Amino acid sequence: MAGAAHPEAMAPRKKGPTRTAPPMMPSSWWSAPRIRIYLLFGATGLVYLLAGFLILRLAWALGSNPMAWQSAFDGLSNPLYVIFHLILLVSVLGVGIRAFVRMMPKMQPRGGPLPVLPPAVVRGAICGLWAGITLFMVLVLSGAIF
Amino acid sequence: MSEGKKTIKLEITRFDPDVDEVPKTEEYEVPTEPGWKVLDAVNYVKDHLDPSLSHRWSCRMAVCGSCGMMVNGEPKLTCKTSLDEYGDSIKVEPLANFPIVRDLVVEIDGFMDKFKSVKPWIIRAKERAEDMENLNERGTYSQSPDELSAFKQFSMCINCLLCYSACPVVANEPEFIGPAAIALGHRYNTDSRDEGAAERNEVFRGEGTVFSCSFANECSEVCPKNVDPASAVNQAKLGAVVDWAKGLILPRGGA
Amino acid sequence: MKQLLLKIEPIIWLLFGAGLSIGTMLLTGFVLVVGLAIPLGWVPADALDYERAHALASNLIGRLFLLGLIALPLWKGAHHLRSISLDFGGESRDGAVGSLLYLLAAAGSVAGIVAVIRI
Repeated sequence: MAGAAHPEAMAPRKKGPTRTAPPMMPSSWWSAPRIRIYLLFGATGLVYLLAGFLILRLAWALGSNPMAWQSAFDGLSNPLYVIFHLILLVSVLGVGIRAFVRMMPKMQPRGGPLPVLPPAVVRGAICGLWAGITLFMVLVLSGAIF
Repeated sequence: MSEGKKTIKLEITRFDPDVDEVPKTEEYEVPTEPGWKVLDAVNYVKDHLDPSLSHRWSCRMAVCGSCGMMVNGEPKLTCKTSLDEYGDSIKVEPLANFPIVRDLVVEIDGFMDKFKSVKPWIIRAKERAEDMENLNERGTYSQSPDELSAFKQFSMCINCLLCYSACPVVANEPEFIGPAAIALGHRYNTDSRDEGAAERNEVFRGEGTVFSCSFANECSEVCPKNVDPASAVNQAKLGAVVDWAKGLILPRGGA
Repeated sequence: MKQLLLKIEPIIWLLFGAGLSIGTMLLTGFVLVVGLAIPLGWVPADALDYERAHALASNLIGRLFLLGLIALPLWKGAHHLRSISLDFGGESRDGAVGSLLYLLAAAGSVAGIVAVIRI
């Protein structure tokens, strides 16, 4: 099931004297579980894009008048919205785990003035921040504080 | 883990540019010995079954980086990959994402272009008089162990090109500089002796932009030397952005 | 088109990174309460009736949080959809796809700024 890669992939600037066969994609491209997770990670982009516009709509209603806010807000209990928000929750958790646990601890700048911390420390700090902000948002939005 | 002698079926991609329109697959029965690597089986085909088979290999100890091939669809250093990891049937193909020259041999000149584009050598703003003074006493450009450890991991690359075969961005964006070359450029950017980061960051933001990397992390998954190119590429993005922001604030050529 | 995208790549990457990190951190609590807990009745709906929602969102910090919730996911989404398009062999259409997605995110962000000012 190996598909073709871009015909110019890894082509030299100056073509050599012999004819070459065009580059192929790895035949494991679709079947490898790692790749599937990577593609799902990218696909959360659509969920985030929709979420951004949904929140824009809520904010716009909040700025209009109490009636508009109430109808937009009550609309969220429509099962379709609930399903979307479930997908959004799964996306957010998946993106968070991949970004905060796997990716960002690797991105510490090196050779600069800052010390390079062990990845576990960075991971802990970022995940702690994530949990803290989430707790804060939950308490504020559910009316427990402020 | 070795189970003694057994015969395996080896499916190998064959392509003769003078005869074949497109690459085809040939099957070979290979009697194997315990402890054999995939490279041993491919060598057996060349030595005993079909001397016209072309493939690259040299050191047999994961140092020279020339025996990279796709083994069951994944880029592997065949001298380091045991036959025990696979069943009775193994598919060996030339490295993905590269033009195929012949059989298992791929065209690597495209990589050499990218390799050179990141200026993989120590750049000094200017050769200073003090660089040349007391040369014998302290070496040319002295460096502490801490300064060495900042980049040492990225200097372990053997240019085996497995990362290029695994990368979905390399497959789809011909201009992309790619994992190994960016890691090499980043290796010099993080070297305390080097002063050429601004030049390389310009390359990193150019045509083959490092920002094309979508962090599939496949390069680091397949790297046989634990260079972790994905972390180098993403640290390089950070460096390139910081440099770009500095360029907005300071006039060109400043600091 | 490609050349223009290449020029703005550092800004896009910063916005994408902010969406990926800060956006995800903000969205988690938001979707838990507003998207799920309130509609499912776990938290009484009057926690966010008009008056309270308005009070929360009309101070400077509330406006900034809300703008972050609108704009940051848009940039994360636009950039990821562009890279998915590339992963499916979209190199030749990348200029058009990328510009369209970033324009969408930019338009949404500008509308978001207007929306939080109106509150």
